[in-house]
Amino acid sequence: MNVGKAITAPPDPPARRITLEVKNLTKRYSTRTAVENVSFQVRAGEFLALLGPSGAGKTTLFRCIAGLTTPEFGAVTLSAVELVRRRRRERRRIAVVFQQFNLVGRLSALDNVLAGRLGFVPAWRGMLRRFQRNDVLLALECLARVGLLDRAQQRAATLSGGQQQRVAIARALAQNPDVIVADEPVASLDPQISADILELLQGICRRDGVAVVCSLHQLHLAQAYADRIVGLADGRVMIDMDAAKFDAQVAAKLYGSVEVIGVEARRSSGQPSP
Amino acid sequence: MTTSSAADALAAMESGARRWSVRRLRTWLVAAFILAFYVVSWQLAKVDPAKLATGLPKLGHWLAQAWPPKLDELPLILQRTAETVAMALIGTTVATLLAIPTAVLASRNVTPWPALYYPVRWFLNGLRGIDSFVFALLFVAAVGLGPFAGVLGIAFHTWGSAAKFFADHVESVNLGPFEAVETAGAGRWTAIAYALIPDVAPVMLSTTLFWWEFNVRASTVLGVVGAGGIGQELKNSMDLLDFARLFTIIAVILVVVTLLDQLSGWLRRKLV
Repeated sequence: MNVGKAITAPPDPPARRITLEVKNLTKRYSTRTAVENVSFQVRAGEFLALLGPSGAGKTTLFRCIAGLTTPEFGAVTLSAVELVRRRRRERRRIAVVFQQFNLVGRLSALDNVLAGRLGFVPAWRGMLRRFQRNDVLLALECLARVGLLDRAQQRAATLSGGQQQRVAIARALAQNPDVIVADEPVASLDPQISADILELLQGICRRDGVAVVCSLHQLHLAQAYADRIVGLADGRVMIDMDAAKFDAQVAAKLYGSVEVIGVEARRSSGQPSP
Repeated sequence: MTTSSAADALAAMESGARRWSVRRLRTWLVAAFILAFYVVSWQLAKVDPAKLATGLPKLGHWLAQAWPPKLDELPLILQRTAETVAMALIGTTVATLLAIPTAVLASRNVTPWPALYYPVRWFLNGLRGIDSFVFALLFVAAVGLGPFAGVLGIAFHTWGSAAKFFADHVESVNLGPFEAVETAGAGRWTAIAYALIPDVAPVMLSTTLFWWEFNVRASTVLGVVGAGGIGQELKNSMDLLDFARLFTIIAVILVVVTLLDQLSGWLRRKLV
C-alpha cells in the first residue's frame, strides 16, 4: 500500500516539480483587503518560509490555501490542477499545522493522528472511530516518527505544547499529503522546542518530498530551516528569494523598521550586538 | 505638566456632573419607565397583603391537622413518585437524543445546512416557549390519561430547551480542532462527530443530569392534568381536604428530590 510506503520506505528523490501554486489570490473583508494579488510557487521537497509583520495577511493566505476560506479572486493549484470545489479527496492532499495545535483535547494522541485518515475512510468509520488495522498501524508509525509512540493512548489535552504540536504533525503525516502548510507552528513554543519542531518539518520535507509552507516570525529560524523565503506586507508579496540571500536589509524593507529587525538579523547571523 | 492636566480633567468631570445633560435625562426616563412597569404589574397581579394575613391562619390550621402523617398509603405514594422519576428520566433522555442533531442545525458556525438555521431556531423557541405542563395537557387529549402523556410533555419542552442550550454552547466553542479535522478531509458530519462531540459531551451530559433533576421537580404537577405520577395523588388529597395525606406526599417528594439532587450533583462533579 503506497500510503504505508511513504512513511516506512525511503522515498524517491524529490522531483523538482511545482507542487503548490498560488495564483493572483485576493481576499477582501468588508473593511479591508487581507490578501492582494498574491502569487508564488512551492516545489516538492521545498521548504518555504512565509514572513511578514502581524496583520500582513499570512493567516488569511493559509486559510485560503487550506480551503477554510474562499478567496474573492485567484486560484490555488496542486500539481497544476486547480482546486475549485474542495472535495474530501482534494482537501486531504494539503495538510495543515496550526499555531494552537488544534487537537481534540479529550481524544487520545492516536485518535487525533487517525483524524488524518478521515479523508480516506468511509464516513461511518470516522463517526464511530472504527478504523481498520492498517490505518491504525499507519497512525502509530506516524506517532513513532514524531517520537511519541509511547504516548499513543494519552489524552491530547494532557500533553505538553511541544508534544501536542508533534501529534499535530503526525496527523498531517497520516494524511500522506503533497503539501503541509503550517501557520506559525512554533509561535506558542519555547526556542528549543521550536527548533525541534522545525527540524521535524524539514525532515518530512526532505525525506518524503513534501512541499512545506511555514509562516514564522523569527527571522533566524526562517534562515536556518527554509530553502526560500516569501515576505508578505499589507497583503502583498514584497520579497521572494533564496533563504541564503535573505539579510538584514531585506528584512528591514519587509518590516519597515531597521532598528528592531537589525538586531534580530544580526543575532541570527551570529554577529555580536554592539 | 501631568498633574495640572489631570487636575483639569477632574475639574471638567466635576462640572459635567452638575450639568443637566441628555445622558442624565435619559437615565431619569429609564428609571421612571421601570417604576411605571412595577406599578402596573402590582395592579395586574392583584397583590393584596390583607388576604395573605387572613389566609395564613388557615394554612396553620391545616398544618396542625397534618400530624401524624398517613403512612398506610406509603407504598402507593412511593410507586407514584417512582413513576414521576421514571417519566422525567425517559422524557429527558429522549429530549437529549433529539436535541443533539437539532442543536447542530441550530449552530450557525457548524451547521451543514445554513438555510435551516432560522427555521430550526424558531421551532426550538416554540418548543421551549410551551411548558411541559401545557404539552402534557395536549398529549393527555391525544394519547389518553397516564404517564406516557407526561413523558411526551417533558420530552417536547426539554427538547427545545436542551437544543437551544447545546447550540449556544457550540456557537461559543473553539472551532480549531473541528477545522483541523475538516482540512484532513473529513465530511461535515464526520468532523462534528469526531472533533466537536467529544469536547462538548461532558457539558451535554452534565446539563442532561441537571434537566432530569429539574424535570422530576417540574413533573410532580403533571398528574394534576392526568399525565401520571405523584401529582394525581397530590390533587386528590387536596380535593378531599386530606391534609395528613397531602403533607405526607409533599414530604416524600422533598426527600426524593433532595436525594436526586445529591446524586446528580455528585455525578456532575465526576464529569468535570
